[in-house]
Amino acid sequence: MRTAKRLAGAVAAAGVSLAVVAACGGGGSSDSGKTVSTSFADCATKPNDCNGGATKQGGTLTYAVEKKITGWNLNDAETNTADYVPVMTGITPQAFVVEPDFSVRLNDDLLDSAEQTSTSPQTIVYKIKKEAVWDDGTPISADDFTYAFQTRNSKDCKDCSPASASGYNIIKSVTGSDNGKTVTVVFDSPFPDWKALFDNLQPAHIAKQHGDLATSFKWFNETVPTFSGGPYKISDYQKDVSVTEVPNPKWYGKTKPKLDKLVFRIITDQSQEVPALQNNEVQVIYPQPDQDMVNQVKALAPNVQYSLGTGLTWEHFDLNLKNKFLADKPLRQAIFTALNRQEVIAKTIGQFVPGAKPLNNHNFKPSQDGYKDVVTSTGAGSGDVEKAKKVLTDAGYKGVGTALATPAGEPISLRVTYTASNPLRKATAELFQKQMQAIGLKIDVTPTQTLGPTLTKGDYDVILFAWIGQPFALQGAEQLWGSASDSNYGKWVNPKSDDLLKQATAQVDPKKATDLLNQANQVMADDYYVLPLFQKPTFLAAYSQFANIRDNATTSSPGYNNQEWGLRASAK
Amino acid sequence: MLAYVIRRIFVSIPILIGSTILVFIMVKFSGDPLEPLKMRNPPAPRQTILNEEHRLGLDQPIHVQYLNWLKNLVLHGDFGPSVHSNTNIGHELGGRLVVSLRLVLISVLIALIFAVITGVVSAVKQYSATDYTFTFTGFLFLAMPTFWFAILLKSAAISYNQAIGTQTFFTIGDKSPFLTDDSAWGHVKDIAGHMILPTIVLGLVSYAAWSRFQRASMLEVLNSDYVRLARAKGLRPRRVLVRHALRTALIPLTTVTALDIAALLGSTIITERVFQWHGLGEFFLDSVGDHDANAMLGWLLISALIVILFNLVADLLYGVLDPRIRYE
Repeated sequence: MRTAKRLAGAVAAAGVSLAVVAACGGGGSSDSGKTVSTSFADCATKPNDCNGGATKQGGTLTYAVEKKITGWNLNDAETNTADYVPVMTGITPQAFVVEPDFSVRLNDDLLDSAEQTSTSPQTIVYKIKKEAVWDDGTPISADDFTYAFQTRNSKDCKDCSPASASGYNIIKSVTGSDNGKTVTVVFDSPFPDWKALFDNLQPAHIAKQHGDLATSFKWFNETVPTFSGGPYKISDYQKDVSVTEVPNPKWYGKTKPKLDKLVFRIITDQSQEVPALQNNEVQVIYPQPDQDMVNQVKALAPNVQYSLGTGLTWEHFDLNLKNKFLADKPLRQAIFTALNRQEVIAKTIGQFVPGAKPLNNHNFKPSQDGYKDVVTSTGAGSGDVEKAKKVLTDAGYKGVGTALATPAGEPISLRVTYTASNPLRKATAELFQKQMQAIGLKIDVTPTQTLGPTLTKGDYDVILFAWIGQPFALQGAEQLWGSASDSNYGKWVNPKSDDLLKQATAQVDPKKATDLLNQANQVMADDYYVLPLFQKPTFLAAYSQFANIRDNATTSSPGYNNQEWGLRASAK
Repeated sequence: MLAYVIRRIFVSIPILIGSTILVFIMVKFSGDPLEPLKMRNPPAPRQTILNEEHRLGLDQPIHVQYLNWLKNLVLHGDFGPSVHSNTNIGHELGGRLVVSLRLVLISVLIALIFAVITGVVSAVKQYSATDYTFTFTGFLFLAMPTFWFAILLKSAAISYNQAIGTQTFFTIGDKSPFLTDDSAWGHVKDIAGHMILPTIVLGLVSYAAWSRFQRASMLEVLNSDYVRLARAKGLRPRRVLVRHALRTALIPLTTVTALDIAALLGSTIITERVFQWHGLGEFFLDSVGDHDANAMLGWLLISALIVILFNLVADLLYGVLDPRIRYE
């Protein structure tokens, strides 16, 4: 067991090391006898500890966020966007924290433990720390868990608009005991991703002061929080300009915030973030990178350092099986086989992410324990033109390599659709068009202004877009790949995959669930329906004088450890 | 004159209604405002999507949606729900109008002063080195893309800050989130530090065009018979220039300026974007991006009202400056 755990950790570290590029010279210092990495250079091997170091009291840190605040309730559908997470993560406590390497750990500031005590029915017992309180002194308790359950299950509160009911909708009961410090959650049916639940807890005692469930849920969204159950509390909000946070004096966690002020500055145009960084108006930026941006930040060394990694968002080509040509598997296989993913990467993100590699799983990323290569064995994405031609010739296709036609002689022409105003996707679509010429397939490159309707109407043949992955892979898999799902836009139908997905989501053992999910994924990969390309790069740049800030491309955001952020003890 | 003003306002109403119908239809067919919600992974609950559709009135036929919007606007002054539930479109537009007006009016004032001075000097010293310099500079500013110039200016300001080791210029926003120097002087410095760069960017474009107008207009007046007569009568050159020529030469510029202020308010998009001022330009961009029909309509109404108002002002000023014009 211990060996397996170590191996998993090593695999995770290796996966991240392939994906992370960092700037500035490496460094290390000894902090309390433990060697600490003091720059982003070590994020490749120590994603959870890099840029660490002792901090001193005081200072102000300004972090750029890219969206105006339109609401304050992260559990609300409208407000639930990644941009607000760093702002709220120091305010609303969560049961589990997702680390930069995508591993999940108990939030041991809030909880003593959270354990599955029964598999039938699946029962989870959370033990809340006695000292965990809201900033008005009210204990964080089972009432807060109950409030989350009731407002997010889409049953008890029809007028609430939760971002997701996944997991909450199959909870049978949430019961408090031990003066509310023990919470027992019983599920109707198994939910292997139970660690995803009870993030962004809100104070039930304050909710009670503001009406029924729906009214209070809305109130939390409309009102700038004056409460806090985390290390910081909001002291000032200037609409569309900034949110200023100061340490919460009632913070019960082991690490006390050192910063005097943590300011979130709203910059809605990414291209203005680097000048603001250069002018020291912000000290941390976390934009979507491109080559120019990376080069501009490189020039700011050594005062500014950066970390270039890969996140959970992944680009992919999808085929529409409602298209009469693409309904034929040999054609799908030939298209994916002739597609050279390494060339696509080299000519797009590879220009500023050295060592970027194709993604080979539809549900897991290389640094996650469940990651298994399901693509390479199928030959998809290899750029093996000869093999692709053979597949087509064997299937009776005509004009292979010149002007591709069906066995019946009908000429084949397809569209590849990409999102307009996205240069990276445009370049990828054009490369696809060029690569398909090798098998004689005529491709028209067509931009779409509205991705959603294009997908839902199935108005495409081949389409290039991205899914935002989840640290908890099981939550979305059935929705994306299930035969009956609305989000299975290409209408791939496979009873065997459906059965495996159903089994996976009914498992309480995460390892078994992961294995079943990968089996379902292999079935899909073998049928040449969706081809993953690469994980989109992430980019975090920060002034070197600040310690403990690091990339976290998960739902926890780089703010996952903001109580540790601070001026280096050695900083002037 | 009052009757003229009232008649002009009434004529504008059908134009306004027509343009709102057009914009409403265009926004409705440009995309689904709930697309981001529907494409979530893991998915948003069905009930959540239904709730949002109901809140935004998307469960109604399109003509009913428009009529409801118009009815609420006329009867209650309500611009309707925004895609962002916490956003009150009316309040938002009011706040942003102030931000944009502050930027536009100050840059217009500065541009006008410089345009008049350089236009007059150019005309008086026609074909001199000074005239050629002002002409070259004017055309240079006219030819420069706003976006490019703004970036260049930002870069120069940052270099200046770094060279002298202070933060004289700011590159984002119209004020700092907090001040280390909370005195009145500290506030003035902060506001000025944020205003200088966007004001220059917005002002230079107008300056370039207006200085050419002023030069042409001044040349025409200086060559007119009545100015020649004034000189022949022995009036001092300064008096001829300022009292007789300049007043007449200002008429075309005044009307152009009044019309341009309205256009400038609608074209602050690039400047506001680059300098992160949260004015009307940014509101327009966000509304388009969010497929927020009601917000777009609100923006259109405000912009249209500004255009109508300043057109009216231009017409009225024309009458004030030129006694030959009378309104009936």
